[in-house]
Amino acid sequence: MSDLPQDPASRRVDPAGVVIALALAGLAAVLVWDASQLQSNNPYGMGPHAMPIVIAVGLGILAIGNLVEALRGNLPERESADPKAVWLILGGLAMLIAIIGLGGGFILATTALFVTTATAFGRRAILADLVIGLVLTTLIYVAFSRLLTLSLPAGPLERLF
Amino acid sequence: MDAFVALANGMAVAIQPMNLLYALIGVLLGTAVGVLPGIGPALTVALLLPVTYKLDPGGSLIMFAGIYYGGMYGGSTTAILINTPGESASMATALEGNKMAKAGRGGPALATAAIGSFVAGTIATIGLAFLAPWLVDFAVNFGPEDYFALMCVAFVTVSATFGNSPVRGLTSLFIGLTLGLVGIDKLTGQARLAFGIPELLDGVEVTTLAVGLFAVGEALYVVSRRHHSEEKLEPVRGSLWMTREDWKRSWKPWLRGTMFGFPIGALPAGGAEIPTFLSYSTEKRLTKHPEEFGKGAIEGVAGPEAANNASAAGTLVPLLTLGLPTSATAAMMLAGFQQYGLNPGPLLFAERPELVWGLIASLFIANVMLLVLNLPLVGLWVKLLAIPQPWLYAGILVFATTGTIAAKPSVVELSMLAGFGVMGFLMRRFDFPIAPVVIGLILGPIAESQLRRAMSISLGDPMALLQSPVSATLLAIALIALVAPFVMQGLGRFKANED
Amino acid sequence: MTPFHTRLLGAAVALTLVTAAPALAQQLELKVMAPAAPGGGWDQTARAMQQALVAAGVARSVQVTNVAGAGGSVGIAQFVNGAKGDGNQLMVNGFVMVGALAMNKSPVTLEQVTPIARLTEEIQVIVVPANSPLKTAQDLAAAVKADIAKVTFAGGSAGGVDHVMAALFAGTIGADAKKINYIPFSGGGESLAAILGGKVTAGISGLSEYDGQIKSGKLRALGVTSEKRIPGVDIPTFKEQGIDLVLANWRSVMAPPGITAEQKKTLSDAVEKMVKSDAWKGILKQKGWDDAYLGGDAFADFLKKETVRVTDVLKSVGLVKS
Repeated sequence: MSDLPQDPASRRVDPAGVVIALALAGLAAVLVWDASQLQSNNPYGMGPHAMPIVIAVGLGILAIGNLVEALRGNLPERESADPKAVWLILGGLAMLIAIIGLGGGFILATTALFVTTATAFGRRAILADLVIGLVLTTLIYVAFSRLLTLSLPAGPLERLF
Repeated sequence: MDAFVALANGMAVAIQPMNLLYALIGVLLGTAVGVLPGIGPALTVALLLPVTYKLDPGGSLIMFAGIYYGGMYGGSTTAILINTPGESASMATALEGNKMAKAGRGGPALATAAIGSFVAGTIATIGLAFLAPWLVDFAVNFGPEDYFALMCVAFVTVSATFGNSPVRGLTSLFIGLTLGLVGIDKLTGQARLAFGIPELLDGVEVTTLAVGLFAVGEALYVVSRRHHSEEKLEPVRGSLWMTREDWKRSWKPWLRGTMFGFPIGALPAGGAEIPTFLSYSTEKRLTKHPEEFGKGAIEGVAGPEAANNASAAGTLVPLLTLGLPTSATAAMMLAGFQQYGLNPGPLLFAERPELVWGLIASLFIANVMLLVLNLPLVGLWVKLLAIPQPWLYAGILVFATTGTIAAKPSVVELSMLAGFGVMGFLMRRFDFPIAPVVIGLILGPIAESQLRRAMSISLGDPMALLQSPVSATLLAIALIALVAPFVMQGLGRFKANED
Repeated sequence: MTPFHTRLLGAAVALTLVTAAPALAQQLELKVMAPAAPGGGWDQTARAMQQALVAAGVARSVQVTNVAGAGGSVGIAQFVNGAKGDGNQLMVNGFVMVGALAMNKSPVTLEQVTPIARLTEEIQVIVVPANSPLKTAQDLAAAVKADIAKVTFAGGSAGGVDHVMAALFAGTIGADAKKINYIPFSGGGESLAAILGGKVTAGISGLSEYDGQIKSGKLRALGVTSEKRIPGVDIPTFKEQGIDLVLANWRSVMAPPGITAEQKKTLSDAVEKMVKSDAWKGILKQKGWDDAYLGGDAFADFLKKETVRVTDVLKSVGLVKS
């Protein structure tokens, strides 16, 4: 049964698979370039380039393997995705990174992530989520800084403690 | 049997009511801190060590043991419930454990983890008491070439985590190996793939990769498919406790996991990751329910958890007999011993037997306490999954990023976490298995440095790999494991043709 | 969103007010950075300082922050940029950072921070397994001179204090430091196993790490790097065996760049007071650290000399491009 030729539509070249194959080949090239920058200052045994070269060769072979799969259209079927929700969470992560980077502190940063994620999962009560997020992350902050004396990044809110 | 008498004496001390209370407090504190993101057992012990200063030596020793076991179990709890392994040793647990939790079987998963830890811990403690002097000779003679051969065995067996397509599985593994190259080369001090970014010089943190791929990637994937079918999490489906079937499927993995964990943990560079993954692969091969692997097979939790716990007891072999701290946790334990004027080393068993046996008895009691405390809590833990989906995933992401922020609050590290999250999302979408990436990151650097050490010692002569009997045997096992599936397949076809 | 910067500014003003007040009351509120992950040597030093500073009444509160990465390169960069001119911040560091900064081509150097004091040090030792034919440091020197490739040294990470010491040993006895067969291991446990198992010729480490093995007779110590014999330790120094190898793995404390002379004096006095306190002495004893307090200009000179020495050694073994 399964050996019979499948519906020709699913046998079409899969562009995403080609992109994956190209990315792997590119990665292999980066490895080779990076290895060529190293100098072997260990007079005995293997140098630091041996392993990157071996891995690069492996990646090259796998790039070909993935290309063959893509050309045969052997990649699994994909369901349509909801890009808006994914971008919302990624936006939350970006906000988190920016707030930490700019010194806004742990509580604000993680609350931003909490609210965006909850929204991405379909909640529409931003104000309520903001309060929940603030309470949750403040509790985490207090647990780390007071009970464990581990300092999380401090911003305006953290300085109130 | 002197050892029996000594152990019995140790037990008699440990079992006093006050000491039992200390053990309980230790386990409670250890679990509470251990479930916090980014805090593995080593750091848990480090942070809570001062608590034990105030007690008498016997009491503090036993509380210390409790903290240690509690910290380990806390890491497994987050791995199972929210797919956020606190340390690399509970990575294998997350693979099946979280799938079980999502299928409403979080209760049995947590239970098999706790009981498996107990069984493995008990057997390994007995092993520690009776095999330590013999095992340590073996462990010390394990050279770089032998470690390399052990890595080869591990690499061959990881194909069990490869999922549906060998090409995609190998691709994942090689991505992991590539990530393992990032950072300062241990043997020459040169930076590889760091592109001049100082944060990359230390390499890719295993927990950052695992939490990114597992927790962040999963959240992105679930949200992207939300409009297809609202995934409803039922915290409990079927029994909250392990059924008779669960027990039947768990006890052999517990024992096998112990067999991997204890001896490999006793090796100075053995670690907990290799035995947990070896155990996972073995269970996947031996199971009678292969269709459940990847969807939440209890064997895949029972085995690795037992291996993890047994390897922890294994690290005590070189620590107590040689004074060799072979892991971060063991180093913290060394600090713990030193505060009681106990200097682990070759003379310890001879000079202070009562303290050694007291410690071994404490470990045993702490293990019992862990079980007593955590089994009733299973029901409570599982309730966490009843939190509505938006808050649950928002909480998971906050938890996951907190772990990274606590360890390294840098923009680069957090960007890597987010990047690995996207990678995990894409890999799920295109059906690339995720575990091999993490395995490649863990095993690749070890294999490389051990091979290069062996080559440095032999001045570049590859025959050194075959001259050691241990490494020759292990390489032969790896070769057989590599070839056997093809031979079996051939035989299978041959038989099929005959019919 | 509310204007983020206004809040930030407000907080900054509030902070300066808070930190200025206790300085008047001779009660410091300090922040000590450990440029490493929690649990390691620098972190332990920072937390020991935290304990001792408060116990000795020198500071009202001390907060420890961890900035891990690349042998301290990440931490010092953040310290130099973020704490500039702040008289209430300190950073712990040590010997290893000197090599790490040079090897990682760090844009920030130790010349940019304000040295306060050296706190502790540990003497280094070379050991061989008990059944080794090498009995003295001179035996080892002869073996190295005979065939440098065949003498394998096990020790800590590349460019660390053990590696520097192996190169110094070879250089001192007139061998080619570039040709030493040094095998780095991660962590003392792993290298100790390799030495005990006879996989390598000799091992290099801090004395305390191999103390138990030496006392039990499983390892033989060929020499220690101290200037004179250590009281209570029955191991000859390299110097008395005719090899001029003196070295210690030190830990120190630094202040940010751009602080006033007055601020520097406050911090130096605070550290000196802490070092003399019973609390600090108790911690040293408990942790087995040796007091090596060296403050003021003497420490600044010492730091300069060590930096030159380490950089030269790392150049000689090819870890740092000259």
